[in-house]
Amino acid sequence: MNAAAMWALIQKDARLYFANRLFALVTVLGLVAYATIYFLLPATVDETLKVGIAIPELPPALAAALEDDAMLVKQFASAADLRAAVAAGEVSVGFAFPPDLFDQIRQGARPTVELLLAPEVTPDFASVYEAAARELSFNLVGQELPVTISEVILGPDMAGAQIAPRQRMLPLFAVLVLMVECLGLASLIAAEVEQGTIRALLVTPLTMRGLFVAKSLFGSLFAFAQAVILLAVTGGLAQAALLNLTALLIGSVLMTGVAFLIAALGRDLMSVMGWGMLALLIMALPTFTVLIPGLAADWVYLIPTHYLVDTIYRSLNFGAGWAEVGGNLLPLAASALLLLALGMAILQRRFA
Amino acid sequence: MPEPAIVAEELTYRYGDLLAVDHISFTVERGEILGFLGPNGAGKSTTVKMLTGQLRPASGRALLLGIDVARYPKRVQARIGVCFEQPNLYEELSGVDNLRLFANLFNARDVDINALLRRVGLDGRGGDLVGRYSKGMKQRLMIARALVNRPDILFLDEPTEGLDPTSAEAIRRVILEEQQRGATIFLTTHDMYEADRLCNRVAFINSGKIVALDTPHNLKQQYGKRMVRAEVVGPDGALLTREIVLDRPETPAEIADLLAHQQVVTLHSEEATLEDIFIRLTGRGLA
Repeated sequence: MNAAAMWALIQKDARLYFANRLFALVTVLGLVAYATIYFLLPATVDETLKVGIAIPELPPALAAALEDDAMLVKQFASAADLRAAVAAGEVSVGFAFPPDLFDQIRQGARPTVELLLAPEVTPDFASVYEAAARELSFNLVGQELPVTISEVILGPDMAGAQIAPRQRMLPLFAVLVLMVECLGLASLIAAEVEQGTIRALLVTPLTMRGLFVAKSLFGSLFAFAQAVILLAVTGGLAQAALLNLTALLIGSVLMTGVAFLIAALGRDLMSVMGWGMLALLIMALPTFTVLIPGLAADWVYLIPTHYLVDTIYRSLNFGAGWAEVGGNLLPLAASALLLLALGMAILQRRFA
Repeated sequence: MPEPAIVAEELTYRYGDLLAVDHISFTVERGEILGFLGPNGAGKSTTVKMLTGQLRPASGRALLLGIDVARYPKRVQARIGVCFEQPNLYEELSGVDNLRLFANLFNARDVDINALLRRVGLDGRGGDLVGRYSKGMKQRLMIARALVNRPDILFLDEPTEGLDPTSAEAIRRVILEEQQRGATIFLTTHDMYEADRLCNRVAFINSGKIVALDTPHNLKQQYGKRMVRAEVVGPDGALLTREIVLDRPETPAEIADLLAHQQVVTLHSEEATLEDIFIRLTGRGLA
């Protein structure tokens, strides 16, 4: 097929894509919305732990020991004041010592320290705070725990450099941009079948392969362009630009393959949307494991977008380069080519 | 002498157990208009799909312009134009954009799109979105699309079905112009009047087989019955119909008797229509 014919097909698909008001709107608004949400999300993480203490007298040495970069200790006059502060979210946790604390200790009694927690504190954290209360009490009575604590940080020390929510969200935005375009391409192909225009195209010198190449080029380049715009606007190309651009380009091809599969499964626009939403959910799952690290499990390696998300996430947030995440590109490219070939084969069988 | 435009040799196609086209053979000469007539499900569309390279025959072969369609479909498709029965245009694009796209696919960049639109009566409407066209306008645009590569063979599937008389007449005019240009036309239709008027020869297809193939005149001669139909006043004053079959030795005497002894109100000569012949050959109608 000559270049003019290829270009004519790509132009035709671009016009049809933007002639669909839904996709045109979602494409433009999506890009604007993702960029806006990105900039509205906090750029920093407040790592300070705000602790409240209600105590008759806080020894200056202890107060100095509690005051560091990571903890802000606020003293309250009474347990009631401290309760109100915890309830209002002014402090994360409160330690309310009895007003006659030192008298009780002198008399050899066992004073009760009230641990005040907000309702959302999980049991794990509650036990951590309980241990902290015991250590505080030990310090107040002048004794230290008879143990030595050694601190070891596994992986990069993120103290003071926690990943901001916007940076965690960026891979999700990139995958969403690619997926929206994927839905658009799938619906374009479904419309070609539904309206019979594909029959008209294929009784010309245009081959089935030429048609799919044109659609792959349109789908991949269009998705890639959108993802690049998003990353450029959000500063995502500031580091490891070549690595991220390569990952996005392969990711765009991957989504084009997914679009072919969706189009092959869908019989009309509605079923394309149904299959598309299912595919979107599956392909977006790896991004949730970035947002909520506890979700990560071995199954995530089966979803091709994991390798895209992992590359972007680690290169943008941990300074990972080709040596660290370049290996992701191989399974990403393999799955992209596999899905593309599979999608083309199924579509070809359907049209033949 | 140039080779025929279309040669079908024992063409056969099956949909599972259903034998859709059953070893049909025929030729279409260059510059000829062949009408392909048959009821729904007779095998017309399957035959056209095999001739245009959309389906591969189960057995037999089709040669278009001397080229084996199954082996070299793209070489054949570069030289034919196909107009489908159902509109399959890009409705979100303009008429001009639809034609330009196909001109590019055929590498026919020198084609005058506006002249094509004028030929089918769509001048001035080429910039409009096809979605806003009437059915007749869409059909005319489909014809124009089939002509962008100046095809040697034009396949037209029910090109005037359900159209208003103006659109239908515009399309018939273009068909005849294309024949004058030298194109061969393969016309699939239900419309016997159209086939009779436009086609050099017609083929009747039924249950996947060609049951007759000849000029309309010869078919009428061979299978039809010419007659005179008269309305006469009966004894009680009511109108009666009398039919006298022509081309028999006793015909002149019967006509003379009719005119001499009956009060004739109307008198018409009639000949069999292609539909009558089709029914006679197949025992079923074309609908």
